[in-house]
Amino acid sequence: MLDLLKIEYKKIIPYTTFWVIFGLFFVFTPIVFYGVGQFKIEGFPIDFSTMYNFPNVWNNITYIASWFNLLIGMLFVILTCNEFNFKTFRQHIIDGHSKTDFIIAKILLMTSFAIFSTLYLFIIGALFGFISGGSEGFASDNKYLFIYFIQSLGYMSVGLIIAILIRSSAMSIITFICSILAESIIRALIPDAIDQYFPMKIISNLTPFPTPDGMIAEQMKNSMIQETMSLNTTLIIAVVYIFIFWGISYFILTKKDAK
Amino acid sequence: MTAVLNINGISKSYGKVQALNNLVLQINQGEIFGILGPNGSGKTTTLGIILSVLNADSGSFSWNGKEPSKYDRKKIGALLETPNFYPYLTARQNLSIVCKIKEVNESEVDRVLSIVDLINRANSKFKTFSLGMKQRLAIASTLLGNPDILVLDEPTNGLDPQGIAEIRAIILDLASEGKTIIMASHILDEVEKVCTHVAVLKLGNLLTTGPIQSVLNNQEQIFVVSDNLDILKLTLSQIDGVSNITQLGEKVSVMLAEGKDSAYLNKSLFDKGIIASEIGIQKSDLEANFLEIIK
Repeated sequence: MLDLLKIEYKKIIPYTTFWVIFGLFFVFTPIVFYGVGQFKIEGFPIDFSTMYNFPNVWNNITYIASWFNLLIGMLFVILTCNEFNFKTFRQHIIDGHSKTDFIIAKILLMTSFAIFSTLYLFIIGALFGFISGGSEGFASDNKYLFIYFIQSLGYMSVGLIIAILIRSSAMSIITFICSILAESIIRALIPDAIDQYFPMKIISNLTPFPTPDGMIAEQMKNSMIQETMSLNTTLIIAVVYIFIFWGISYFILTKKDAK
Repeated sequence: MTAVLNINGISKSYGKVQALNNLVLQINQGEIFGILGPNGSGKTTTLGIILSVLNADSGSFSWNGKEPSKYDRKKIGALLETPNFYPYLTARQNLSIVCKIKEVNESEVDRVLSIVDLINRANSKFKTFSLGMKQRLAIASTLLGNPDILVLDEPTNGLDPQGIAEIRAIILDLASEGKTIIMASHILDEVEKVCTHVAVLKLGNLLTTGPIQSVLNNQEQIFVVSDNLDILKLTLSQIDGVSNITQLGEKVSVMLAEGKDSAYLNKSLFDKGIIASEIGIQKSDLEANFLEIIK
């Protein structure tokens, strides 16, 4: 198993796109997070002054970083499509891998990506928290980091299916982005009771718009559309979706010829 | 002889096109087995199936008498269609990935790069390679771990004459070590120069298979010239081991049984009082035989 992951990193460490995208993620997440906190408008109902304090920082940084999570998802789509474009998927089968090895390697790779970005958020969040206030509340609410980790896996699992089905990088990335848009269009036509269970909705809801106590004025909080589903339920459904996506990917890959 | 590969009634179709129709083949240890046929005859489909990248619609195959598994493939060096590598990685980085997959020592990389004469370009990116260099890298990759079985699809594709000669020399070298080599080609000359056994495919059907001499009827023909062709023909018919006596213009062509050569023929004629003014050897026309088979 570990060998499979080692091979994955042998492929991508010399790959420029990998460094560029992770570089963007590493650089822009703290910059944007810092930038949002400097936002000051008279009468704006959100008080950003406690944004970096523990435990608010965990919810806030994972919400901001979730936008960059799509970027990591795109990187994953590109890396998977490369295996088909370069025909290295086919070559690896010839050389002695199985299709199962391919799926396991990709799952290990996405898990390692998710671990890296979550660890990074932990470090950035902790830095912001300690600098802006005391260590009080450091340990509470850091479930958001775990939830962010699951969300990251969720986006990459959707990316895995799309890449395996479509195989061309450009088309796959477009489909990956459009699947989010397309789902919201479909959701508009379907009653909320049903559409709240749609996969992209579930995955994006993992990092809800932050509403920590004391940051948002009560009247705005009340006027916002409240998600009816609890975060724990969303989390469980998301994990189920991820396993289903892995299963579908495996099924598609084994049925098709390795072209 | 032990069977290295058994193919039992494999069929495969792409939509309405029947690419392979109930193919049965046995390939034994130490053979250099050529799969010959025109474009679209099912050569690459056959190799794709035995390398598990294509799923057969029906039928089965076995390597060394066992159910096919990825562990067999790790011990087979195979090149299918195009050389497939990561363009942004160097030759060495690409081969080191293959080493990991095949679970062989990475010291193999330099050895195989030397064999195909790419050691000086080991640290160049694959995308900077010419077609011929890519093909040689693909051949190098099949040699990693010194496998006993090689599967090569059009191995000299894209190579210049010198490269073709080099690759053929490598293949013959490997064959002399007792390795089994399965090779697909549409180049008759290549199969004839390299292979010991051959199967001829056309539109997914196996037309004939066996040792190359018998399939392509690649026997030597002897031409004899003398002043009286009628007496010559009559005399030839009385000599032991002479067959297929035919007159071709001012010459008579004959075929000799195994173990008989032109010196034997000359002596026998002389003993019967005929002096041949000319005796020559000519290979039979392979291409004509091949075209006859696939007609």
